[in-house]
Amino acid sequence: MNAIQANGLTKRYGRALPAPFHRELVPALEDLSLGVREGEIFGFLGPNGAGKSTMIRLLLGYLHPTAGTATVLGLDSRRDSVAIRGRVGYLPGGIALYDSMTGEGLLDYLAALYRRPTPRRAELVERLEMPAATLARPVRDYSRGMRQKIGIIQALQHDPELAILDEPTEGLDPLMQLAFYALLDELRAAGRTIFFSSHVLSEVERVCDRVAIVRRGRLVALQDVPSLLAHRKRNVQMRLSGPAPALLGIPGVSALESGDGFVRCQLEGDMGPFLHAIAGASVTDLTIEPARLEEAFLEFYAEDIPATTPSAAGRPMLSRP
Amino acid sequence: MNTVLLRRTWRSLAVRTLLIALGLGIWGFLMPVVYAAYGAQFKAMFDSGAFPQQFAEFAGGDVFSLPGSIALGFVHPISVALVSVYAVGFAASAIAGERQRGTLEVLLARPTSRRETYVTLLVACLSFIAVVVAAQIAGSYVGAVLSGVAAEVAIPNLVLLWCNGVLLYAAFASIGLAASVSFDRLAPALGITLGVVVISYFMQILGTLWPDAKGLQPYSLFQYLHARDILSGVLRPSDFVVLGVVLLAGVAWSLYEFPRRDLAAPA
Repeated sequence: MNAIQANGLTKRYGRALPAPFHRELVPALEDLSLGVREGEIFGFLGPNGAGKSTMIRLLLGYLHPTAGTATVLGLDSRRDSVAIRGRVGYLPGGIALYDSMTGEGLLDYLAALYRRPTPRRAELVERLEMPAATLARPVRDYSRGMRQKIGIIQALQHDPELAILDEPTEGLDPLMQLAFYALLDELRAAGRTIFFSSHVLSEVERVCDRVAIVRRGRLVALQDVPSLLAHRKRNVQMRLSGPAPALLGIPGVSALESGDGFVRCQLEGDMGPFLHAIAGASVTDLTIEPARLEEAFLEFYAEDIPATTPSAAGRPMLSRP
Repeated sequence: MNTVLLRRTWRSLAVRTLLIALGLGIWGFLMPVVYAAYGAQFKAMFDSGAFPQQFAEFAGGDVFSLPGSIALGFVHPISVALVSVYAVGFAASAIAGERQRGTLEVLLARPTSRRETYVTLLVACLSFIAVVVAAQIAGSYVGAVLSGVAAEVAIPNLVLLWCNGVLLYAAFASIGLAASVSFDRLAPALGITLGVVVISYFMQILGTLWPDAKGLQPYSLFQYLHARDILSGVLRPSDFVVLGVVLLAGVAWSLYEFPRRDLAAPA
């Protein structure tokens, strides 16, 4: 059984009204079908406005689908949303917290609403470096990163079977991001399922087993990460001390450029013919950049996105379309 | 009902409730004291014809009798404003305010249905109203005892007045909560609830001061609080029925609308 199964899930915002009040419904998600396997980390990718949060909100019963169905842990997302939320940990994007409460008071309160013990609290607090003194302070004094850590702890402290995390590393510093990735690996090893929405491509590539890419509310790709990368073009640079090898017409080679002692090209698919072609050349330096998810992603968004912008942490992120 | 949410709501508003209950208790205390000290002089002034008779009947209260003075305290803008902190402020912000702040996200991520959340907040709101209205009536009774006029009012009638007062503000609160579940932002929910209370109050006061405007009073919910009559032993069950119907209509709308609404991601 899949942890999440969506079949033709469609959401259009607005209410159908008779003329003259009729207004076009705004499509947010169109006929989306996917399955998230138990025990995997599933990345749900798309820029802002692509439908990521809409999908999550449909799964948790915040929104009602216009068409289609979804099950979460075998439960119907419309009929059984309360039971679903009892077994799921959810981190909303840009989480808002009760500012007047202390961190510890807030975690206690949110745990009490689950009516479940919190076997992972101590570990999460330690790993995400939230000492007792910090937790004793009111949430209004917390930085953006500390609020995000509280958000992560509240979502995972009761050790849910499925965690749905909307942009979980937003606001975390690089060290905390690493700690968080390690936590995800451990949760996966313990058999937990993670549904992970993000527009930070490098982290999705790093932690996810499979990814779905949404564009304007439609699913445009659903693959495991290695398969998605297998057919991507890699940039190749060669320095030579002799004549350039004949690469024109070699299968997989494109964008060939050569000059005084160098060759640049792009390589796609099987590397065998390329390696065979350069076997006799006097290569002094060879760089083959690994294929990145970013390129795969941008291929789907080529029509929509004018440019990518580097994030503060130097990771590729998508600019808002 | 969600007892965890109820306890947290109570705890977060405990100090405010204590202060408002204290304020209303003091306000209620003053009414019998003023009546005992100056009631006869006020009566003589109004009997002399120096002031229009309507001023002596402000919204069904007066200062010539203990029931009248307690009733005056009940319908005075100070009392209405203080109880409206809950009947209007709390009710309108209970859902829409949390939604606007984004904290409803975290609350509804728990295994709590929207109806359960609504009922819990309704119960919290009614309990706040019950406490502060009780504080005012208790203050009035203490004032009457200390002024030596307590014999002019029967304790069971004070209890009936409490029921009528709680029902009036509960009706406003149910309108506030109905508005609160219907909007994503606080301003429209608060505006509608405040508008209902202010217009209702205006129609009631206008009707008591201007005979030609008496026709407006049945449309005011304040018309269904007859504090002086209750304290004088005259009970009008129709008042309770009208207020009860408004209360139930607000609850019915909320229980219908809140679960079926789409809660899109906060802006």
